[in-house]
Amino acid sequence: MDAIAQADSGLDQDLVLDVRNLQISFRTDEGLITPVDGVSFQVRKGTTLGIVGESGSGKSVSTKALMKLLPKTSSIGAESQLWFRKKDGSMIDIAPVPPDSAEIRHIRGGEMGMIFQEPMASFSPVWTVGNQMMESIRLHRNAGKAEARDIAVDMLDRVGISNPALRVDQYPHEMSGGMRQRCMIALALSTNPNLLIADEPTTALDVTIQAQILELMAELQNALHMSIIFITHDMGVIAHIADDVAVMYLGRIVEYGPTAEVIHNPRHPYTRGLLAALPSLDELKRRLTPVGGDIPGPMERPRGCPFHPRCAEFKPGVCNAAIPRYTPTAGGGAVSCFLYDDGGAGS
Amino acid sequence: MTDAKLLEVKNLKVHFGIGTGGLFGKAVGAIKAVDDISFEIGRGETLGLVGESGSGKTTVGRAILRALSPTAGEVLFHTNGGVTDVTQLSGKALFRFRKHMQLIFQDPYSSLNPRMTVRDIIAEPLECQNFGSRAEIDERVREIAAKCKLNVEHLRRFPHAFSGGQRQRICIARALAASPEFIVCDESVSALDVSIQAEVLNLLMDLQQELGLTYLFIAHDLSVVAQISTRVAVMYVGRLVEFAPTEKIFFGPKHPYTKALLSAVPIVDPDKEFDPMRLEGEIPNPANVPSGCRFHTRCPFAQDRCRSETPAWREIDDDHFVACHFAEDLAAPH
Repeated sequence: MDAIAQADSGLDQDLVLDVRNLQISFRTDEGLITPVDGVSFQVRKGTTLGIVGESGSGKSVSTKALMKLLPKTSSIGAESQLWFRKKDGSMIDIAPVPPDSAEIRHIRGGEMGMIFQEPMASFSPVWTVGNQMMESIRLHRNAGKAEARDIAVDMLDRVGISNPALRVDQYPHEMSGGMRQRCMIALALSTNPNLLIADEPTTALDVTIQAQILELMAELQNALHMSIIFITHDMGVIAHIADDVAVMYLGRIVEYGPTAEVIHNPRHPYTRGLLAALPSLDELKRRLTPVGGDIPGPMERPRGCPFHPRCAEFKPGVCNAAIPRYTPTAGGGAVSCFLYDDGGAGS
Repeated sequence: MTDAKLLEVKNLKVHFGIGTGGLFGKAVGAIKAVDDISFEIGRGETLGLVGESGSGKTTVGRAILRALSPTAGEVLFHTNGGVTDVTQLSGKALFRFRKHMQLIFQDPYSSLNPRMTVRDIIAEPLECQNFGSRAEIDERVREIAAKCKLNVEHLRRFPHAFSGGQRQRICIARALAASPEFIVCDESVSALDVSIQAEVLNLLMDLQQELGLTYLFIAHDLSVVAQISTRVAVMYVGRLVEFAPTEKIFFGPKHPYTKALLSAVPIVDPDKEFDPMRLEGEIPNPANVPSGCRFHTRCPFAQDRCRSETPAWREIDDDHFVACHFAEDLAAPH
């Protein structure tokens, strides 16, 4: 088991989520693929964990597993544990809970909220925004119709929708992208969830609107003391919203730690490469330093460290033989790389 | 400023009519996607065109390429020792002229025909322009594929066998096959992952050096534009608000919208305070543009004059154009 997950977390009252050794497989026509393999992370109360990664890194799939929103062709590994703290303080392992049980339907939406990338696709076009919010509020908060409507209007007001009493009766197509994303946040937060999962919530938005949404999320987090998992590919967004960051590559967390530590002292060659490849506003007309090679497809996962075919520090016979263990770093994080792992094969 | 200009855009307007529908439907209004903009592109330079969704930046690119016909204005192309107004061309003359200009799209997945081999994709523009015999075309395809760092052994494969970055290199090879002088890159690296994006940007810069290309680089990502552009034009709801060399735009922006855009980009440094300039509301609908300065509805410095009077497009500094009544007063650091 990974070093991160070995921390004595079951007793820690501060944890909202403790994911241990998550493994997700899909049956496909070409065979079994494992887009997430041995991922462990934790989310503390009232903090934001940023998960950053490129396409195929498994960042979205990992969080969909938390809500049991994976397709039927998928399976979660037998050793995976997903400990989640409910609002009443008790902890539950979500991994063995069937995806259609009453238990998970209570957690999904009620205890755990989710915002997706595409605000247009997240709402049904044939119901008003208020109607969709009230459905969730009535289900999870045992509220009557009139009370649910009041809560919906109040939430729309909190996320900065002007004239909420009118907007509550509008359809999603009557709103702009930024406004729809605000409504989505209002919908996800109207049940007072313990944990909010935000999957690329600002990627489809313009930068000025993105800035508004990020500010809003930080404000609401302070007011409601909720925890957030923020998934993005944008290191700039991570730098400003996340307390801790997990860098994912091909289904593994390659580096993990406090945001400032990971960005200022990146240890894994992939994290370093990713930061070096970013264009910046301070240095103009600079030649960028790309990470060589391409991201392998799901069927061609490399053996050993998943990054070794693109890594400048590749050690033959070591990196392609076994998966490196997590080595704790001075800044309070961990890194999975043989540069820091002085021997012995990892799990 | 580059000495020789390749392209002059003069008072370009592209309006789309909104009808009541039906066969005899009356036009009831117009979406002014591009409304009276003028600029020049020098030979061998990269002009970055930035703006948010709905600003009309893609429409500008398409109007220059005559992928759609402008409502008014001129697009003057200086080539072969003469000047051609692209807006006046039609039929065969337009078809022949198209070899001078090409387009690289955003999405390398939907812009390649899945039923054509890479060789056929790159050869298609050559066949359209009667480049030569099959052997000559094959030779040219191999040459251009190698320049775009594609494996020439893989030319008989279909696009599905390639990754996103490789597909975008196929798109670049196709655009370059007929030796154009001018290329419109419309969000050409936006769909790529960061580690791949850097490589494609570097390739575009290398090819520009080697072949003397001129780019109109349309993007919403300011940090990408900062790396590749010689000069930058900022668009807002169908109009240019600022136009200057890259250094002046990024280190000394004069228009409040440019300042707001720059301040909204999250910097990859958790120690730097992220303090975006607050812009209220959203981008106005181009079918119903605000009076006066189009930015006044969101501008924190708006005065009465901004609501009534359209600001003139003026040169505030050497090669630095801006459309704002108060550009000088706001020039002090924000």
